[in-house]
Amino acid sequence: MEQFESLLTCCVCLDRYRNPKLLPCQHSFCMEPCMDGLVDYVRRQVKCPECRAEHRIPYQGVQGFPTNVTLQRFLELHANIAGELPDPTAGQVMERCNVCSEKAYCAPCAHCDKKVCEDCKSAHMEVLRREISRINNQIRRGLNRLQDILGVVERNTTNLQTNCGAVAGEVDEIHKRLAKALKDRTDFLRNEVDRYLATELRNLTNLKDNLELELSNIQSNCDLADKYMNDDVEWEDTELVDTKEIFLKTVEFLRNFDYEAGDYNRRVRFIMTHDPNQLVMHVASYGELNITQPNAYCTGNPQTQGLTRSKSDHRLATQFRTQEEAKGWQENDEPVLGGRKFGERRPPPPEKPTRDYGATDDYSGYESEHRPTRSRFRSRFVKSHLDNDSDSEQTTRAAKAEQHQKEKEKVTDTEDATRGPLSGIFRLSDCPRVMQRILDVDSGKKKEKKEPPPPPKPVQPTPQPRRPPPAQRQQSEDDEITRLKRQNKAGAAASSQEPERAPVRAAEEERSAVNRKPPTPAREASSDGESDESVGSLQRNQRKNVPAPQKPVTPVRRPSATETPAPHRPAARAPSTESSASTESSGSAVKHTGNERTAPAPATNGTAGGAQRVQSRFVGSQRPTPAPAPAEPAHEDSDTSSEEETDSSEESDEEPVTQRKPESQAMARSDIGPLLARSTNARNDAVENKTKETPTAQSRYRTRQTSQTEEEPASRYSAASSFSNRYGSKPREEEPASSLDDETKYPTARSRYLALKERRNRLARSKSSHTGFGVGDDDDQDDPVSPTTASPSAYLAARYGSGTGGTELSRSRSSHALKSRESSPERPPPGEKDGAALSSWARYLKNKYGSRGKDRDPSSTTSSTSRRLSLGLPLRSANELASSDDDSKNAAGSPISPTAATAAVAGFAAAGSSPRSQYMQKRRLQFSVGSRGSEPGCFTWPRGIAVGPDNTMVVADSSNHRVQVFDSNGIFVKEFGQYGSGEGEFDCLAGVAVNRIGQYIIADRYNHRIQVFDPQGRFLRAFGSQGTGDGKFNYPWGITTDALGFIYVCDKENHRVQVFQSDGTFVGKFGSFGSKLGQLEHPHYIAVSSTNRVLVSDSNNHRIQVFDVNGRVLSSFGEEGSEDGQFKFPRGVAVDDQGYIVVADSGNNRIQIFHPDGNFLRAFGSWGSGDGEFKGLEGIAVMSGGNIIVCDRENHRVQVF
Amino acid sequence: MAALPRRIIKETQRLMQEPVPGISAVPSETNARYFHVIVTGPEDSPFEGGLFKLELFLPEDYPMSAPKVRFITKIYHPNIDRLGRICLDILKDKWSPALQIRTVLLSIQALLSAPNPDDPLANDVAELWKVNESEAIRNAKEWTRRYAMDN
Repeated sequence: MEQFESLLTCCVCLDRYRNPKLLPCQHSFCMEPCMDGLVDYVRRQVKCPECRAEHRIPYQGVQGFPTNVTLQRFLELHANIAGELPDPTAGQVMERCNVCSEKAYCAPCAHCDKKVCEDCKSAHMEVLRREISRINNQIRRGLNRLQDILGVVERNTTNLQTNCGAVAGEVDEIHKRLAKALKDRTDFLRNEVDRYLATELRNLTNLKDNLELELSNIQSNCDLADKYMNDDVEWEDTELVDTKEIFLKTVEFLRNFDYEAGDYNRRVRFIMTHDPNQLVMHVASYGELNITQPNAYCTGNPQTQGLTRSKSDHRLATQFRTQEEAKGWQENDEPVLGGRKFGERRPPPPEKPTRDYGATDDYSGYESEHRPTRSRFRSRFVKSHLDNDSDSEQTTRAAKAEQHQKEKEKVTDTEDATRGPLSGIFRLSDCPRVMQRILDVDSGKKKEKKEPPPPPKPVQPTPQPRRPPPAQRQQSEDDEITRLKRQNKAGAAASSQEPERAPVRAAEEERSAVNRKPPTPAREASSDGESDESVGSLQRNQRKNVPAPQKPVTPVRRPSATETPAPHRPAARAPSTESSASTESSGSAVKHTGNERTAPAPATNGTAGGAQRVQSRFVGSQRPTPAPAPAEPAHEDSDTSSEEETDSSEESDEEPVTQRKPESQAMARSDIGPLLARSTNARNDAVENKTKETPTAQSRYRTRQTSQTEEEPASRYSAASSFSNRYGSKPREEEPASSLDDETKYPTARSRYLALKERRNRLARSKSSHTGFGVGDDDDQDDPVSPTTASPSAYLAARYGSGTGGTELSRSRSSHALKSRESSPERPPPGEKDGAALSSWARYLKNKYGSRGKDRDPSSTTSSTSRRLSLGLPLRSANELASSDDDSKNAAGSPISPTAATAAVAGFAAAGSSPRSQYMQKRRLQFSVGSRGSEPGCFTWPRGIAVGPDNTMVVADSSNHRVQVFDSNGIFVKEFGQYGSGEGEFDCLAGVAVNRIGQYIIADRYNHRIQVFDPQGRFLRAFGSQGTGDGKFNYPWGITTDALGFIYVCDKENHRVQVFQSDGTFVGKFGSFGSKLGQLEHPHYIAVSSTNRVLVSDSNNHRIQVFDVNGRVLSSFGEEGSEDGQFKFPRGVAVDDQGYIVVADSGNNRIQIFHPDGNFLRAFGSWGSGDGEFKGLEGIAVMSGGNIIVCDRENHRVQVF
Repeated sequence: MAALPRRIIKETQRLMQEPVPGISAVPSETNARYFHVIVTGPEDSPFEGGLFKLELFLPEDYPMSAPKVRFITKIYHPNIDRLGRICLDILKDKWSPALQIRTVLLSIQALLSAPNPDDPLANDVAELWKVNESEAIRNAKEWTRRYAMDN
């Protein structure tokens, strides 16, 4: 073996051959490092190092030499056999480092934007670090100034207050004085007037009385005189004299009396000495405030005084860069970091997109070249929000992108860290990435201190500590997961970004190793749920809210509403988990009868797990820190003992739990807590728990297998209880009450917290991971199912309970199906013809329907039946299927090895009998198929998926340009197709469908056509071309057939669905661009139910629309969001024979299940590469047994639930 | 500063793990490109039993250019001058990147057992070797004893 190795070693570099070139003397050397060095440019010759023969160099240079393909094949073979990691630098060309001028694998340096080799980079960073610390010192010194200013401000505050108080007092005083004076004066004048009036009145009254008296007297006198002063009355002379005297007096009086009217005619007048108006005016403006500029305030400018500006090139470069960034800035002032998120990388210069990654295509007219490049290159910390998966087919985003001159997306807002209100400077400790790093560092230290509780397994050495960023970028695909609503949120881009290649972490769970990095979903809280990926976020510029992986999804959010979970967590881990445990559904208590004690522990584990996972994910992207080590062994074991899930959780040992406890305490820090909560769903923790337990689970597994029977009752009980449990406690968001309910205790509080958060931010991805099975995705891909096929037997048996009951149930199920079928014939298209095309189509339908009805009965193969069922088509006649078929179908369809087939089958049927409960149980991965690659059984960007006859899985292996067929156990059966545009050749095919007779109908996306193959995979026909007319397509995507053989195609870029006969004749179309009911925007996948309802995943409208076969819209459900029943770029849609609708909610990285009427039933899944985690959901289908199969695009695998 | 190429690292590792019999090559602590070499005099040669110190330096563009080797220990050899410089074709024009440190040192050891006075470094040692070989061998033994044995 060593000699083989030596034969594969280049003698110049003493390394494995890289791109070996063959010289005419038959000696081979690596092309780029070695040959280049041998070239004698002067004479254009190379001298062979082995034989010293001289050869002329071909015109094209060293590349012109023939490649030694034999050697290459040997290399490949060797790599395969030895199971080695592919060269992490494969595909990279050595470049000259700009700094040291050495040829090495370079990576762009974020600072100076040059490609530098790692050494120079580290040196560079060293310099940066020193700069930072130096500036830090300066800042500290300058900080004093700020503090002084603070003191001054405070003093001024008090001064101001006293001053104003005093002034207010003065004003009041004046007011009082004036008021008093006015009042006094008024009173005085009033009094005067009154007095005057009184006296005068008295006088006048007196006078009046007197006069009246006089008058009366005189009158009486006169009367008397007149009456009695005659001869009749004898008057005395004295009397007469007196009388005369009186009369004389009276006359005199009368004559003299002169009413001095003038005396009594006086009028009082009120005179204002001062002009009243003026007086009023004076009063009105009787005072004013004079505000003088206080001199105590420090002047500006001192900025530069305390802080000397160094002119190191670092600084200059930074300045330059910020200036550059500011140039294009339109909105804010120059933002800190130029609008990037902390730690984000700037996008690379545009490059030509390559087809290999299936990422982008620069089909003219569809996308600016920016988008493809942006989307394609993502730093490992950036998560792409863009629906990049749809390969530059989105023009809207392009338009948005075009706004910016640079590729960087300028965002008004930055990540969710607290910013200084004055300076706009972030608080670093709030940046998720920083927090993560700090956590890692600390935990790493802690881990070193206490020995990590190693499971009794050998820890696999973490391969590949760090992937060079270029490789990652090239490999990572933008995840379409989340769409940015707001450009701000850059979600943890991470998540979907890097398709964790199996090689990177050899046997580890992808979960831990995931480098999520997230194409950062544009700022938004992480793309996908977390990774919001705004358009801009596509670029690495996006700030990563959360440290790359994992959290990338969640943006850092301030715990606003839900304070309770967060404080609990940091405060006391155990108690918090306990409390959260208690808050967990009661079902968990029911479920784990004897394992109450484990409940809190796993919850704690969950914390730890979550923290660790968080950490490990992030770390994985960075380097293989010891942190994930404990998780890794767990992960490895989880591969083998994946089925442990439910029961294993019940039987979880105390030891690992307790061991984990202190770790969890170490891990979950107060400041990280909320962050972790935000970033990861509980399920992660749950998964972690499980994986943590799995190390010891292996032994348990063995025992379990032996004691399978005894476990069954328990598991049955648990299953039953879990049923009720699920019914009773519908988890929030997608918090599934997994079989490990206990483990979700901790998450529960978190999930609640998270739910609140989620509402506020769009997290494309929820991080709840499932109880993964630890499918051997990382293992050899040839038979990925084998580890799990054996294992699920026990698990399934346990899960689904006894077999006998199952058969009955299955029979009942089939009868139920029959009923539904009976109803369906009444539902054939009502035949309303709306348009000519439709009318002909409807008529055609009737014809077909009638004719097909006869055809149905004869062909009663099990396979076709199952296929029909799986396709959601109406069942055939009763005689055909009946229970026997169901059972046999189930038997065929069960993904279990024969060992426990019967039990499993029964269990399966039992599960199938009650779809609701079955779906409620969903979320546990049964197994997954495939990994990245182009060998059989491997995928590169699997997209569409369909269920073929006999419950085979038909997968559109998009970037391998082929269709692969697997049996129901995930074992490879056959493949067909190759790249090209001829017959039988594909170009990034997207959708597959299988019709009644087993023919494969493929949506050949980039060839804009549909191809039909016979059941053996031989080409039959093709139809369609690019265009917008009838029968022409623009990126046809999802495809399906109905019972009558009509082919429904999602004509994605034409925003419509077209219907064809099975021979390709155009029949009709419906849908148009828009968002109203009945309109579509980028419809991706399509499914037809057995009741002839056509379900279309209206991706950009974030909803599922239901049409009838005539194209009339019946209903639609869903809206944009991450709550239950909300979608973000829903993709695959499937319907089972009972009408339950299964949707691959790609933006939220989860699968949602709905009742036939559109009401939400269940959701599960999260972002990630582990079991039950997705990166880029694509097509989805339902097998006849109820299994849900879904294409996990970025993980290059198909998962079966 | 250019990083140490992988080849050098690999060679060094291999030298430590699988030393060539009779030859010891140890990299210097301060400079990974500088090696302290000790070659034992080959059997059946006048240098038998002697331990000869050499120094070996890998230049910047190694392996495209030959390493620079020099004898520290004084040795009486027609192809090695009094300064210790070695006249060996593979160290000059016949160098090939396929050669490694170990092969170079082996060649030097072979040169010790098979002197080639027809291609001398123009020294009188070669003269004497051609004219009076036995005396030259005697001299060589003498020098070996004097300089190359535990001094």
